[in-house]
Amino acid sequence: MELMVNLMINGLATGMLIFLLAAGLTLIFGLMDVLNFAHGGLFVWGAYAGIFTYMYTESFLFGILGAIVTGALLGLVTEKFIITPVYGNHIQQILITLGLMLVLQEMIKVVFGPNGVPVKTPSYLAGSWEIGDVIIIKYRLFIIIVGFVIFGIFQYMLKRTKIGLIVRAGVQDKEMAQALGIHIKQVFLYVFMVGAALAALSGMLMAPYSGVIYAEMGMEYAILGFIVVVIGGMGSFSGSLLAAILVGLAGSFMAYYVPVLSLAVNMILMAIVLIFRPQGLFTIRKERST
Amino acid sequence: MKITLQHLCFLLILASLVILPFVNDSRTLIILLTQIFIFGILAMSYDILLGYTGIVSFGHAMFFGIGAYTTAVMLKQMDATLFTFLLSIVAGMFFAGIISFLVGLLTLRLKSHFFAMLTLAFAGLFLVVAEKWRTVTYGNDGFTFRAPDIFKDRITFYFFVLTCLVVIFIALYRFVNSPTGRILIAVRENEQRTKSLGFNTLHYKVIASVVAGIVASLAGSLYSLSLRFVNTSVMTMDITLDALLMTIIGGVGTLVGPLLGAAVIEYAQHALSGLARDNPIFERWIIFFGILYILAVIFFPKGIIGSIRIMFWKWNTRLKERRKSPATLPHKKERFE
Repeated sequence: MELMVNLMINGLATGMLIFLLAAGLTLIFGLMDVLNFAHGGLFVWGAYAGIFTYMYTESFLFGILGAIVTGALLGLVTEKFIITPVYGNHIQQILITLGLMLVLQEMIKVVFGPNGVPVKTPSYLAGSWEIGDVIIIKYRLFIIIVGFVIFGIFQYMLKRTKIGLIVRAGVQDKEMAQALGIHIKQVFLYVFMVGAALAALSGMLMAPYSGVIYAEMGMEYAILGFIVVVIGGMGSFSGSLLAAILVGLAGSFMAYYVPVLSLAVNMILMAIVLIFRPQGLFTIRKERST
Repeated sequence: MKITLQHLCFLLILASLVILPFVNDSRTLIILLTQIFIFGILAMSYDILLGYTGIVSFGHAMFFGIGAYTTAVMLKQMDATLFTFLLSIVAGMFFAGIISFLVGLLTLRLKSHFFAMLTLAFAGLFLVVAEKWRTVTYGNDGFTFRAPDIFKDRITFYFFVLTCLVVIFIALYRFVNSPTGRILIAVRENEQRTKSLGFNTLHYKVIASVVAGIVASLAGSLYSLSLRFVNTSVMTMDITLDALLMTIIGGVGTLVGPLLGAAVIEYAQHALSGLARDNPIFERWIIFFGILYILAVIFFPKGIIGSIRIMFWKWNTRLKERRKSPATLPHKKERFE
């Protein structure tokens, strides 16, 4: 029983981290119809910029802020120069963002050095509580809370506020929203920046969790993010949350019971979902013109 | 068949490549050229998917890896003879064919985004298998094996790879100009219309995927033999990215383009890693490729060959017009009036 609870908490924490990563992806895809393969690059930049700010200022909160700002700025540049020329062309989007991914990943090595950087958890988040045989690692609980808070904020923003209304209108029908006087290009830019900031934030939060950051982690985690977005249904926020938790739990249980399969379990999950339900578990796009 | 200027150019290049080892037997040059030929084969196979059928696959390294591992494992477990090697090529192509057929059937029904990601997932799955199946693949460390005696000589191997390249080039040329190949182009241009003309597009896309898979497997076999070593790096995303880059830079939708792309990229890699000794910034040559790649997608979407073709075409029409112009121009005017 205690084992089950431990595994579940681990799985949930991993799932929440993946959700934060996937949230940005799904936001960008949902509104802009852009599949951002450079998301992993933004993720790893967030991790590096955040951790270096954290080490310099010795404040974890500043680190998080640093990561978010870096992510948003990179998002701004990316949208302006890389994404704008290729709106509406899926194949070119895939290719160009992949190119950007390469550049971002290598730039990490130029700016921060090619070696991995060890990361310490801040003292007030280190350690764990023990309740009976259940071990609750503080940092994991922190991530779970952050994940749910972010999910709540975004859900509220999208469903209840005017900004959400505009974004949802853009998702439903780009041309109509534009005809009603919404500057959709501007909205795209902001959405991309928010998505990039979310990627950077998840990178920053991932850093103490994995204990070390390295340039190649971007692609590794980005693949997880893609898998979650695909399973959940592209562009669906709740779908991503559910899929991320599913992937996290499957990973943590598999790692304990069938370690051989643990690396492949996500791929298998995604393949199964795509083959039987190509649009994912949830989907917000009822009609899609191709 | 009419012999055109293009054919003459090819023959000339081929002839110089055949003569080259006798004129200049620098080992590095021979090895570099062999590498270019191998990646040229891989890039051509990728272009069947990207350039001719219009689908982006991220799983191409999977087939490359299948070929590489089949050859490596067979040469390690059995006698390292020429016969074993040829058998391993055939076996690798066979496996790659079957797997690309199954994967294609499962994935090609999906739209571009989903297809790209599912192929990524399958490639990831194969990478995991290669890493975990240690008894055969020795995991991440990889293993060395003996090459057949005849290939101990680099120049013999060079000629063997060159022959493979020419054969594959002619075969693929015939393939893309066959009725099937024409339908692939139709799928790329407008899948809905092709479907409404009564073609089962899934059928043709699977054919493209199988052809590409088989050829990539051949490239993999040659690659592992050229190194006499194999590890899981042959299955990684990097290989797919290389093929993608070569195709884009050289020019999608042509067969010469990827070959040229392979030459450019492999040579640039070689030259830039040489420069790295002078200035450490060149150690990060991938940055240059990434930037080049982004610029190519934005400004140069047709690649080298495509741009040359457009230039040539414009020049040609202008020439024709000028030839006609003084006498025919009034004529034309009359007709329009």
